[in-house]
Amino acid sequence: MTLPLPTLAEPDHFSLGEKLLFAALAAASLASFLRRFAPIVSRILHAKKDADFHLFPLGRRIWDFFWEVLCQAKVIRQRPLPGLAHALVFWAFCAFVVVTLNHCALVFGSGFLAPASAPGRAYSYFAALFALACAAGILGLFVRRFFLRPRWFGKDLSWESGLIALLIFALMVTYLAAFFAHGPLAVRSLWWAHTLTLLLFLPIIPHTKHLHLVLSPVTIFLSRGGFSRIPLLHGDEDFGLVAGKDLTQIAALQAYSCVECGRCTEHCPANNTGKTLNPKDVVLGLRAYLNALGPASEEPLLGRYNAQEAVFQCTTCGACEFQCPVGIEHLPLIVGLRRGAVNTGAWEDAHGAKFFLALEKGSNALGLPASEREKFIEKNALPLFDGTQEYCLWLGCMGGYDPRGREIVLALVKVLRYLKVSFGVLRKEKCTGDPVRRLGNDLLFQQLAESNLETLTSSKTKKIISICPHCVRTIQEDWKEFGLPPAVEHHSEFLARHLGVLKGHDFSRAESSQEGRVLQVPSLGPGKAQPSSEQKEETEKVVFHDPCYLGRYRNIYDEPRAVVSLAGELVEAPRHKERSFCCGAGGGLAFLGEEKGQRVSHARAAELAATGASVVAAACPFCNTMFRDALAAQGPGAPELVDIAQLAARGLPQNPASNQTENASA
Amino acid sequence: MKIIVAIKQVPERDAPLRIASDAKGIEERELQWAMNEPDAYALEEALQLKEKHGGEVVIVSAGPERVGATIREALAKGADRGIHIVADDLAARDALGVAQLLAAAVKPESPDLVLTGLQSEDLGLGQTGVILAELLNLPHASLILQVEISSADSPQAQIKAKRELEEGWFQSIEMPTPAVLTIQSGGNKLRYATLMGIKRAKTKELRTLDATSLGAAAAPVAVLDKITLPQKKKSTQIIPGAAKEAAATLVEKLKSEARVL
Amino acid sequence: MSVLVILEERNGKISRTSWEAAAAAQQLAGTNPVIAAVLGAQTESLAAEAAAKPFAKVIRVEHALLAPYTPDAFTAALRQLIQKESPTHIVFPHTYQVRDYAPALATRMGQVLLGDVIAIEDGPVFTRQLMQGRLNGEYKHTGSGPCFVSVQAGAFRGSDDAGPQQTKAQIELFRPSLDPAQIRTKPGEPFRGSAQTVDLGSAQLIVSVGRGIREAENLPLVEELAKALGAELAASRPICDNGWLPMERQVGSSGQSVAPKLYLAVGISGAIQHLVGMKGSQCIVAINKDPDAPIFEVADYGIVGDLFEVVPALTEAIKAAR
Repeated sequence: MTLPLPTLAEPDHFSLGEKLLFAALAAASLASFLRRFAPIVSRILHAKKDADFHLFPLGRRIWDFFWEVLCQAKVIRQRPLPGLAHALVFWAFCAFVVVTLNHCALVFGSGFLAPASAPGRAYSYFAALFALACAAGILGLFVRRFFLRPRWFGKDLSWESGLIALLIFALMVTYLAAFFAHGPLAVRSLWWAHTLTLLLFLPIIPHTKHLHLVLSPVTIFLSRGGFSRIPLLHGDEDFGLVAGKDLTQIAALQAYSCVECGRCTEHCPANNTGKTLNPKDVVLGLRAYLNALGPASEEPLLGRYNAQEAVFQCTTCGACEFQCPVGIEHLPLIVGLRRGAVNTGAWEDAHGAKFFLALEKGSNALGLPASEREKFIEKNALPLFDGTQEYCLWLGCMGGYDPRGREIVLALVKVLRYLKVSFGVLRKEKCTGDPVRRLGNDLLFQQLAESNLETLTSSKTKKIISICPHCVRTIQEDWKEFGLPPAVEHHSEFLARHLGVLKGHDFSRAESSQEGRVLQVPSLGPGKAQPSSEQKEETEKVVFHDPCYLGRYRNIYDEPRAVVSLAGELVEAPRHKERSFCCGAGGGLAFLGEEKGQRVSHARAAELAATGASVVAAACPFCNTMFRDALAAQGPGAPELVDIAQLAARGLPQNPASNQTENASA
Repeated sequence: MKIIVAIKQVPERDAPLRIASDAKGIEERELQWAMNEPDAYALEEALQLKEKHGGEVVIVSAGPERVGATIREALAKGADRGIHIVADDLAARDALGVAQLLAAAVKPESPDLVLTGLQSEDLGLGQTGVILAELLNLPHASLILQVEISSADSPQAQIKAKRELEEGWFQSIEMPTPAVLTIQSGGNKLRYATLMGIKRAKTKELRTLDATSLGAAAAPVAVLDKITLPQKKKSTQIIPGAAKEAAATLVEKLKSEARVL
Repeated sequence: MSVLVILEERNGKISRTSWEAAAAAQQLAGTNPVIAAVLGAQTESLAAEAAAKPFAKVIRVEHALLAPYTPDAFTAALRQLIQKESPTHIVFPHTYQVRDYAPALATRMGQVLLGDVIAIEDGPVFTRQLMQGRLNGEYKHTGSGPCFVSVQAGAFRGSDDAGPQQTKAQIELFRPSLDPAQIRTKPGEPFRGSAQTVDLGSAQLIVSVGRGIREAENLPLVEELAKALGAELAASRPICDNGWLPMERQVGSSGQSVAPKLYLAVGISGAIQHLVGMKGSQCIVAINKDPDAPIFEVADYGIVGDLFEVVPALTEAIKAAR
């Protein structure tokens, strides 16, 4: 071998004393690790079983593990630079598994990666590359944490993070230095330095957030799956997360997996507007509870370790859960804590109680008489659904009662009539239960869901279209507990599918064959909307606000943008698509009175207005109602606020001849 | 102390109303039923008194089988047991006839306090509590917003109640127990129904009493002869004219038509 | 064959609703005499006031135990009076006080009060509201005893003018026999609700202002209107957001829910958050420039116009009418 590259130097033998010392230290290190780790595992295992947990099918789990753990996809995607630095450290650790095994085996003379051998040499260089990357990465993370200090790390510097960074750095340096070591003493010293660092590192893991090294791969693999999936309540004594005894194994596992990276905090609309809620603290509060009281405790979870006020500030926008790199499912936890408080009556809130009472007696979340909805239907001659039409147009509370929501419905009706799609509205409709579901009122939710399911079943509804992403989500996912809901889609999906006919305003061709009507959604990259330039010399700039319940909850991003691009030039807000920032209405908060701190809607409206767009397009009546006041507060020159249905309806003729015939074919 | 709350089941506030073919009642098919809201306030007051002084809250309600659901609702909110006076002929009884049923059921319980809502949302008579007091020969006060009890455990327990007068005035009324109070809405914040409450209510006692066993109904004195739709339908009157003229017309209409000035 | 009407006092005078009850009594009586009664410890001046009206006679039901009001004393006293006079009908104004004792009085005499009557037709047929005004019920009184009726405020046109009658009605004194032991309740002095916080929830008249007012400097315009009406001033959220009025005056989903007799919305377009807070108002008046403003959907009366012209005109009209 004539390569000029240095070779990794290893001690070639160890004295009995060294062997004994190593064995003793290793045993102590391992014992110290287990002394702390075993109780954690025990607490997790002694927690309540997850009643609705199924290991199979494994496909999703394997994929999640591959993508999120091995590829570090979420870590990198949400924070590219620090994410990459973390990934380098992680991959280096993977590469070092073999190195470390060999390192320890050496003591007993059974090293299997002789640096002089071809595979040993190759692997040592492979590992060295990772070691270099890892050292650079950890240095970068160190600088970020101790010098750049992002807000979500909190005010206090975490010295344990510094120590860990130092140890990781030392591990890498002691390994790399061995390539350049001369003389047996230096080689031996480096080996011991590396070993001691390692043995010191091991017991620190369960003492710190670096527990995630061990737990988060398991957490990700075992996650319950589905976004913001609210678990079933089991038996007569399950009211949600009331006390420690209600925390399930997976909830406990997640609580111990938190790495305190603060991604959830960074994106939380409540936390960003000066409220008490910090999703990270919710998780850490549960961990502190488990540490102090264990999983069998009867002490309420809301109290010493988590504030009731905080969990009721959540808009359930899901940004936290979406971003979490270690597989924590925040929404089932937060909604679970709310359920625990509401299902037992512990939550006493004047607005909340009034809201629940109104829905106990009435039909809609706004507390208005149902006759108001009937008047609206009558006045606008909306056809009643009789089972023969293609779509049941679900009005929802906002569409049925809110003047702005009604405008959206009427715009959609105009489009439906133009497209000659047959539809009808239900004579009787109740709130889907979305806000009470998210607020944790299972009794009321069940009553509403069952009542609606009965209406839909008896009216033979097959397909629902709705202007409200909250209704869509609740009908499709949450009602499943109580029956089989009909297919449901959001109007953005419908409009995007019929874009071909709506595009171009060339209505003479609208009467053409049926085939011409259905077009696939053009795929649009982020920020690359293509306005159809031939019709519009001067295009308006339109910024689209992704509703949480359409984007993160339903994974619909391109469809509404395609509709927007009909009317103008799409521009993007800094936070868009899966990182969209909530309007503040979700989670029942639209009905809970004035917020503490800055209004979420104002923060978002300012961001949307700052894009310079002259139009804000929304696709959710709740976002719409929140932004109405918030945009007005931006002062004169604030952008116009419309729903995408209104954009789609704008170019259509006022009274198309086809207006009256929508039922003729049915 | 033992508190009895008399509760009525009424059509849900949103319920579409159709007059029955004999014009003496409303069509009950498709109608949904709920607890009379003023009675919910009476229940809330009773529950708060129980939370403060201990004791028992007993629900009494008269009506057909469907009334059981409303009693269960009250049990779910925290009442201890229920008495259902099964009667299918409530519509044929006047206020005195119904109160006689309630009095017959309440008397053997020897309560310390009887509470009712000020009035019902359907008939709006606002008399049951006062008549009940007269039939039971107990002191009463109506339009009560708050109740305080002193020496609750002794036979000398005294009631001090805040009574609403007209035009923003109030007064406090004192009386010995046992007594009857009719509770004005809005004095307390109502509690919402909870899953836990509903589950616990399943095991609570709900006794049924047959109305016929409580004595024959007296012939009604006040007879509901016919139900009609009110003439006036609420629709917006846009008042035309220049500012001055419109303002004058509006004031006149508010005085003579709407009678709110 | 006479009709007895029970008159109530308010601020030392006979109340307006009592005159309305007298009108209802007159209608029931037809050509038969109407007898009026006033109750209290000292009833001289009230009786004199009543005697100026066309009553057959006015009875002073006087006893030291009739003041302050207690249901026990009133029930016992009136029962004795009714037994003495044997009227066919006894008419009350449907006041809080009447609601407190009249049902017991009727019960004691084996009768049932026909309460809160809004119209009396031939028969007589008594109309009262059912289902919170969504339906009307027509009631008949059967049996032989006296018929007890209370009438809703505003349902009958009463007048406190003396009228053309020259001769005064004869005044009689009636002293019921009352025993202190009969009176089981002890009433306290009336007191006002705490005045520190704005209690829009119990306000009877509300003038509410919205974005249409444009600037804080324009607020006195609506303040004047509220003053002329004797109404509380309220606002929609943007006004309170801007700090032009305190948050406690905000009506709507994030503020207070109100249910006054009159809700006058000035320059309020009617966002849903606002509508849910005031939908329970008995009478809603909207003044707005935009004829399509959603507030007109819920209003009973609307003026489409510039509030800067309409509001001062309205203030003047109200002052003139008072």
